[in-house]
Amino acid sequence: MSKVMLRRADAQTIPLSFTLNGRLQELAVEPHELLLDVVRERLGLTGAKRSCDVEVCGACTLLVDGRPISACTTLAFEVRDRSVLTIEGLADDGRLHPLQEAFIEHGGFQCGFCTPGMILAAKALLDENPNPTEDELKHFMHGNICRCTGYKKIIESIMAAAKFMHGSRA
Amino acid sequence: MQFEKEVEIQVPREKVWNFIWDVDRFVACVPGCKEAKTIEAGKLYSATMIEKVGPFRVEFPTTIEVLEREDLTRIKAQASGADNKIGSRMKLSLDVKLREQGEKTVLGFVAGVDILGKLAALGHGIIKRKADQVLDEFAQAVKKHLEGDS
Amino acid sequence: MLRPFRLEEPESVKEVSELLGRFGESAKVYAGGTELLLAMKEGLVHYERLINVKNVKGLNEVTSDNGMLRIGALCTHRQLETSPLLQQKLAALVRLEQNVANVRVRQVGTLGGNLCFAEPHADPGILLLALGATMVAERASSKREIPAEEFFVDAYETCVEPDEVLTEIRVPVPARNSGVAYLKFGYLERPSVGVAVAFQVQESGRSIHDIKVAVGCAGPAPKRVPEAEEQLKGKSLDEATINISKAGEIAGRAAQAISDLHGSQEYKEHIVGVLLKRAFQNALSQYRAVQS
Repeated sequence: MSKVMLRRADAQTIPLSFTLNGRLQELAVEPHELLLDVVRERLGLTGAKRSCDVEVCGACTLLVDGRPISACTTLAFEVRDRSVLTIEGLADDGRLHPLQEAFIEHGGFQCGFCTPGMILAAKALLDENPNPTEDELKHFMHGNICRCTGYKKIIESIMAAAKFMHGSRA
Repeated sequence: MQFEKEVEIQVPREKVWNFIWDVDRFVACVPGCKEAKTIEAGKLYSATMIEKVGPFRVEFPTTIEVLEREDLTRIKAQASGADNKIGSRMKLSLDVKLREQGEKTVLGFVAGVDILGKLAALGHGIIKRKADQVLDEFAQAVKKHLEGDS
Repeated sequence: MLRPFRLEEPESVKEVSELLGRFGESAKVYAGGTELLLAMKEGLVHYERLINVKNVKGLNEVTSDNGMLRIGALCTHRQLETSPLLQQKLAALVRLEQNVANVRVRQVGTLGGNLCFAEPHADPGILLLALGATMVAERASSKREIPAEEFFVDAYETCVEPDEVLTEIRVPVPARNSGVAYLKFGYLERPSVGVAVAFQVQESGRSIHDIKVAVGCAGPAPKRVPEAEEQLKGKSLDEATINISKAGEIAGRAAQAISDLHGSQEYKEHIVGVLLKRAFQNALSQYRAVQS
């Protein structure tokens, strides 16, 4: 659903061209627009959530050039010419990503509110460190908060996905 | 937040008392206080309080109401203001006591300061320190003004 | 939601400085935005112009120059935690940077931004004080080096002038006979207490010849504590180990702790002492490990 953007006549706009979930997106943004708002409101991708709004909880995690950022505190123009991945872009033509499969199989979510951010952060972790120790996992995932699961199942899910994707840690 | 301050001023009590009611001179002692006006002499005053902590700036248009007064001895007042740009309010209660000590006067006051709204996000510690600083500077300024005069 | 502002994208330090001079308090330098945008979202500050400095080249490198590490102000915490040069020469800073905030903040937040915003509950400034770092601030036509001790003035306040840009942080590489450690304590989003200690042991290996102790997070700005350093300077390693508790008490009182949600004043002062003791032992182990 697209919303008509009302602008002041003298508003500064920045042309924003970026890859979103593998496809080219082109739109114009004002400097003050936040990435989370553009993704949720203008592009209709509501997987990323506005939760704490102060970069602490991770519910708004998106991957920009494969790296996790807080979309709630990122100005939209900052992704120009970069690639953005949201949770909606993780499955490949309907086939779930191993992380998504693992979270389902191992009970890594309950209410699901933190889950998009959690899974994207986990993807960034495994892309950087395919076989993390539990300590390395906890350190990386420290900025993603879950109120439901107590984290144990999340850790199990990510470790299982890692094993599936890259074989066991020796 | 509560603060207690006391300052010894080398002038007689009457002088201090009169100074307090001399609105313009008194307000000049309050750091960040400008544009003081008497709305009802002895009862109601207004002023603008401007304070800065790093990049954060508040401007509180403030109303000051005198609640009780005992000539030469005590004043109880309360002040409140709101900075709508930032969405914060300030409440101040002031209990001022004057005590004679020979040729000197001991000016003591108990101040209750409450900052409500967004500014509180800055952190209790920062606000407390700033309030403490402002009250310290105020007490010293009163002393300096009065002693400087005589 | 943020209130609208104009974006300026200069490409040189000179341009940045000129923009700051021209627009004064209505403009602000914007890098990672991890502190600035939060304050703006809260409505605590507003700027009509944000000056995006990320297009200025040469401010995000880590180099070594004659025993001096030069860290560009625009280096992100992530760059610093993964820098091979820092891992080799200043592991204590790498450990600190690995634990700043969370992985998303580290991805875009810069060291320069962290130092200039001068949020009291921050880590890097404390260690930089203990390492004897200097900060380089530039204007259109001038440059000055500011010792870390002078850099931090108060909460949210540094001595950087309104039209100056912090471009570089310089840290002398600790000598081989050194011990450096930074420890922090906190259970809220930001650290509550941080303590850094850096010392050099003199040639014979018997006494501490130079030591710096810095505390932060508990008070309005990070600071060195010379009175605590005196308890340890010139002392044998054993004597210093005995004196560390007293140094800790002194450092605690010097921390200007205030009772708030992070803890009571007494608690914070106590934690400063505990962290100083542990940091010192940590640094001592490092020193001993290198000697063997």
